[in-house]
Amino acid sequence: MSRRRASGGLESEVLATLWAAEKPLTAGDVVDALGRGLAYTTVQTILARLHVKGAVHREQVGRAHAYTPVLDEAGLAANRMRAMLDRGGDHAAVLTRFLGTLTPDEEATLANLLARQRPAGGGG
Amino acid sequence: MYLSVYLPLLFSAVFGLAAPVLARRLPPHVATWLLSVGGLLSAAASSASLALLAFLFLAQNPVLMARGHWSENFLRGHAEYAVPVGALATVAVGLFAARFVRAAARRVTAVRDAYRLAAALPVSGGELAVLDAADRQAFAVPGRPGRIVVTTGLLRSLDAGQRRALLAHERAHLARRHHLHQSVVAVAASVNPLLGQLPAALELSCERWADEDAARVCQRATVADALTLAATGTPLTAPAVVLAAAGGDVATRVVALYAPAPKLVVWRVTLLSVLLAATAVAVALALHDTERLFELAQSAYRTGKR
Repeated sequence: MSRRRASGGLESEVLATLWAAEKPLTAGDVVDALGRGLAYTTVQTILARLHVKGAVHREQVGRAHAYTPVLDEAGLAANRMRAMLDRGGDHAAVLTRFLGTLTPDEEATLANLLARQRPAGGGG
Repeated sequence: MYLSVYLPLLFSAVFGLAAPVLARRLPPHVATWLLSVGGLLSAAASSASLALLAFLFLAQNPVLMARGHWSENFLRGHAEYAVPVGALATVAVGLFAARFVRAAARRVTAVRDAYRLAAALPVSGGELAVLDAADRQAFAVPGRPGRIVVTTGLLRSLDAGQRRALLAHERAHLARRHHLHQSVVAVAASVNPLLGQLPAALELSCERWADEDAARVCQRATVADALTLAATGTPLTAPAVVLAAAGGDVATRVVALYAPAPKLVVWRVTLLSVLLAATAVAVALALHDTERLFELAQSAYRTGKR
């Protein structure tokens, strides 16, 4: 059970990486992009699984496969989700957002925090 | 009883005022459980108090007195509380009962709609459904199984580590069933306006809990970075209408993430547990005293007849 969850989590990470890339990636590219020492075969297995499920499209590039995410028929679901958010109240509350609520005051506080945490040179 | 029936109202006022502080200061998983369980208990106790006051008021109606075989003189002599309080409590019971039904129905509809949405999202990506949209948004949609929705706009503004933090955060919302805590608190607040600050406080503690869970799979600063990047890039004009409903405090979360993981302060939790236990005891006492009062009223009625 926990094993399945862990591999499901990795699958999401790989898919998120492909979406963020805006160009086809090979298994090697994904390993590099994730940058946390995953085995090449692990990533290859996940990509193959995503391909079987139809989440990604692949093409032959030289001796490797390059993968792009498939834009699925999420349109309907997207409209439904926007509608739920637009209803506000309980409907919006049930969809827990990453950001929660942002007031203009908070925005200013955050901007200050960022300025303080990242002086020239960065690294936090 | 004349004090104990009012104590739950007083205690819930204290609890309601303490809620925002709890959400900020306690370790978030403790705060979340304390707020939802405590909120439920507080709301039940204050409702019981109001119901008792209303009952004492209504019981002095001559028709009911005759039916219950209660001695009129005895009740009037011993139910030592002002009649306006009883009348007010009766109105409040009616009002809050209506609010309870409405709040519960809305929650059930909202959760059902979320479950339908989770089922309608494309399954090819497993738990993750990506929306091709420029705005930066991420949601956890509760369901069977729950799903995570992220826009391409947000994914592209984060690096690999930050994306990992984001996914872990949303996964935590689903795994910890935060929507159930939120539903309990929303309904509790509907029957007791003194608990009005609870939903916003709970939202903050749930977000902090998910942040702390995310911080287990990566650096604390990475979670904070993901949060600030997502926040400062959000176009606030349009979604602000939607976001205004709740009240999570992003700045508080970022500050919390730059500090070490929160530690449990035992006396704070003990103090609150004592408050909640006292609430339960006060309700039990008030119920017991009322029962005794009406028993005595009945025996006074029988004596009076003889």
